[in-house]
Amino acid sequence: MKAEPGPRRRTSLFWKYFSLLFAAVVVPLLIAGASEAWLGYRDARARLNELLNAEARLAAVKIEDFLDAIRAQLGWTVQLPWSEGGGDRRRLDALRLLRQVPAVLSLTLVDADGEERLFVSRIGLNRIDSGNDLSTDPAVEGAQADSVWYGPVRFLDGSEPFMTMAVAGNRSSVGVAVAEVNLKFIWDVVSEIQVGRTGNALVLDRPGRLVAHPDINLVLRADEAGQRPLQDLRAILLTRPGEAETGRDIAGNMVLAAMAPIPGVDWSVIVKQPLSEAFAPLYGALWRTAALLVGGAALAAVLAWWLAQRMTGPIRVLEEGVTRIGAGQFDHRIELATGDEFERLAKRFNEMAAELAVSQERSQRISRLRRFLAPQVAELVDRSGDDSVLDGRRVEVVVVFCDLRGFTSFAARADTATIIEVLRDYYDMLERVVNAHQATLVNFFGDGAMVLVNAPVSVPNPALRAIAMAGDMQTGVQALLAGWRTAEHELGFGIGLAMGPATVGRIGSQGRLDYTAVGNVVNLASRLCASAEDKQILLDRVAAGAIEAKTPLVELDPRNLKGFDQPVPVFAVRGNESP
Amino acid sequence: MRLARPPSAGAVDRPGRRGFVALAGGAAVSATLGPRLAGAQTLPVIGYLGSESPELYSSRLAAFREGLLDSGYSEGRNVAIEYRWADGQYSRLPALAKELAERPLPVMVAPGGAEVVLAAKAATSRIPIVFEMGGDPIKLGVVESLARPGGNLTGVSSLSVEVSRKRLEFMREVRPGAKRYAVAINPLSPTAESQLRNLEAAAHSLGVELLVLRANVEAEFDGLFAAVRDASAGGLVFSSDPYFAYRSRQLAALAARHEVAAIMQSRDFPLAGGLMSYGGDFHQSHRQSGRQAGRVLKGEKPADLPVQRVTKVELFINVKAAVALGLIFPPSILTSADRVIE
Repeated sequence: MKAEPGPRRRTSLFWKYFSLLFAAVVVPLLIAGASEAWLGYRDARARLNELLNAEARLAAVKIEDFLDAIRAQLGWTVQLPWSEGGGDRRRLDALRLLRQVPAVLSLTLVDADGEERLFVSRIGLNRIDSGNDLSTDPAVEGAQADSVWYGPVRFLDGSEPFMTMAVAGNRSSVGVAVAEVNLKFIWDVVSEIQVGRTGNALVLDRPGRLVAHPDINLVLRADEAGQRPLQDLRAILLTRPGEAETGRDIAGNMVLAAMAPIPGVDWSVIVKQPLSEAFAPLYGALWRTAALLVGGAALAAVLAWWLAQRMTGPIRVLEEGVTRIGAGQFDHRIELATGDEFERLAKRFNEMAAELAVSQERSQRISRLRRFLAPQVAELVDRSGDDSVLDGRRVEVVVVFCDLRGFTSFAARADTATIIEVLRDYYDMLERVVNAHQATLVNFFGDGAMVLVNAPVSVPNPALRAIAMAGDMQTGVQALLAGWRTAEHELGFGIGLAMGPATVGRIGSQGRLDYTAVGNVVNLASRLCASAEDKQILLDRVAAGAIEAKTPLVELDPRNLKGFDQPVPVFAVRGNESP
Repeated sequence: MRLARPPSAGAVDRPGRRGFVALAGGAAVSATLGPRLAGAQTLPVIGYLGSESPELYSSRLAAFREGLLDSGYSEGRNVAIEYRWADGQYSRLPALAKELAERPLPVMVAPGGAEVVLAAKAATSRIPIVFEMGGDPIKLGVVESLARPGGNLTGVSSLSVEVSRKRLEFMREVRPGAKRYAVAINPLSPTAESQLRNLEAAAHSLGVELLVLRANVEAEFDGLFAAVRDASAGGLVFSSDPYFAYRSRQLAALAARHEVAAIMQSRDFPLAGGLMSYGGDFHQSHRQSGRQAGRVLKGEKPADLPVQRVTKVELFINVKAAVALGLIFPPSILTSADRVIE
């Protein structure tokens, strides 16, 4: 207990409880939060994947539709063979096509021999039957081979995207229609496509140049170096087809993008959404989860703190109380009103402290009583719990005095250790005898002692008891004296006893308590003792009368005793009436 | 940025009549709504250089404002426009442009032809300029390239100038028999030479002769039509020129009076009773210039904004005028017409 400092143990117990309770709440919370976040991320990713891919496919279809519509219009112009004439009707058809398809800048009709028969334009002059040989034109050759031919994207004046589109009829005799298509018109399609709030779509041609973008300026800038990020993005998307991937757009912002191909022209549609926007709902959910986790943890901490406090608080109070009680503060009471085991424990401790206090008080009283009462008497007084027996009163007592003869001269010659040893043996012997006869040893003084019989505890026939005790004293002390007597030292032991009324009771100050008797009989007994010789036991008349010859006595001559006007009758126990 | 300048005595003599009215209005507003002036002063101000009067520009202005609105700007709400009008006296344009350039404008708009653009370009190399013109901005030295204009100018180019020859072609289709056609040229126009060359080449391909007539003031218009009639030319083809275009109404009336078949670049001409028009869609081009001005206001540099070409070239025909002239539109014209006015 002393080796281990209290506070450290308290702290560790508190922290043990606290950590355990805290963990019990927070760990499941964390697991739930983490799994929710992970599942949420997976769901969001899957949903975005789906959405962006659907948007990409839709955008691709729209752009394909745009091109198909032009192709279909061109198809109308290559249905009749050139041999049948009708040049004027064809011209009207061509003009009508220009009016109906704003994206077509010019249209060239080529006959089966590859000769230009008609050219109509919005800008340039129309030509009829110019006879230009276009049979080796890649557009004408391409259309004749595959029925539809898409040229590479060209940037007119380094800015406007154009593409040549050629369509051949189902017979070679109907020739080929070649159109210059202004791809700026795809803007109408692309600008309509919106993904989420700010997401959009863009179109890259085969080499990765921007063909269409909601911000037409980016297309018109035709800045291939600036479009590098888009080509990188396309490369990323190509590695995992059908998956939405993250990358950077022209401005360098992180985007989530998906791609769909446009067959025929071999372009790619990329739909993209800023990453922050795409994941905004997820981030929102994560933030909510995080906030809940933090809130839950804080609540758990408070709860755990409170519970741990509640658990260790009473223990601390108990420990403190026990320490104080252990230190002898038996009036200390442990105040606990927790209504649980702790309160019961505190109650036990309080009871224990009360009992300890009672027990301590009793033992103190006993030890006090033991000083002048025979132990049995003391126990008796103590057990009865009533020490009123010690109260002052006037009672018939037998007072016995005894002392050694010649001890003063012995003490003057002997060394201190011997004196102490002799006195100790002497006192021990006297005390033993007094206790054995249930008498009261009032006190020792030097080589003498004063003993009371019949007080404070009444005994039957006190005079007889006193005589018997005196006899035992003589026997015992004489045996001791026999050991101590040497040639030089003449030691003796005399006893005087008297019987009569005396005032007995506790007499004492705050620090000291004695039980004693006051009265003439005390004086008489003392004088008798002083006049007794070695081995002699002297009695007064009253005591002698009380014995009623049960012990053989010898009446000696009355003696003049100090303090007595007349000679006092003196009796001695026979056998040792004279030395 | 001073928006509301108190009218001075000199302001009355200024050519910018409308500008003065606007300024006076501004002063009135500042007098009555004193506390709001601070807010109004923080509005960005667009300098708008017009070659004609606000009345002639009204349809163009409306389109320009639409474009501004597309970019999120609305005049009076979050942007102010400071106008300068030359009232048809193009020689005043450089001075007006300089006047605008003296102010710390975030953007200057120079719509309505090469004259305006060149005046603005000469006035400042610092203030961003958004132009609207029919000619080729590279050939005129306005920008370095369409994709990367490079300097402080960007804008919109319609195809009006380039399609002058198409007007001759259409006129020939309407009056197929004629050997000779008249063309009207504004000699002061920066594109006059190139258009004339363009038209002469077209005439050569078409196998017709050209009667070149020049006019640069309204007073010469009457003589123009008289000359066409006197030369018994097949018709009159106006070269692309804003001076002509903005006077479509007047020219249409003269054409009707002189019974001359004529074709112009602006749809205003057939709408006012003229025979035909073929040219870029000015509504589209002015609207586009409004959008670009908005982007410049938002902080983009003209050098990074590609010059946009208006994709639409429109053919308007007026059947009533044709009937009055005893003409019948051939099917090819009817087919190609974007709008037939009856």
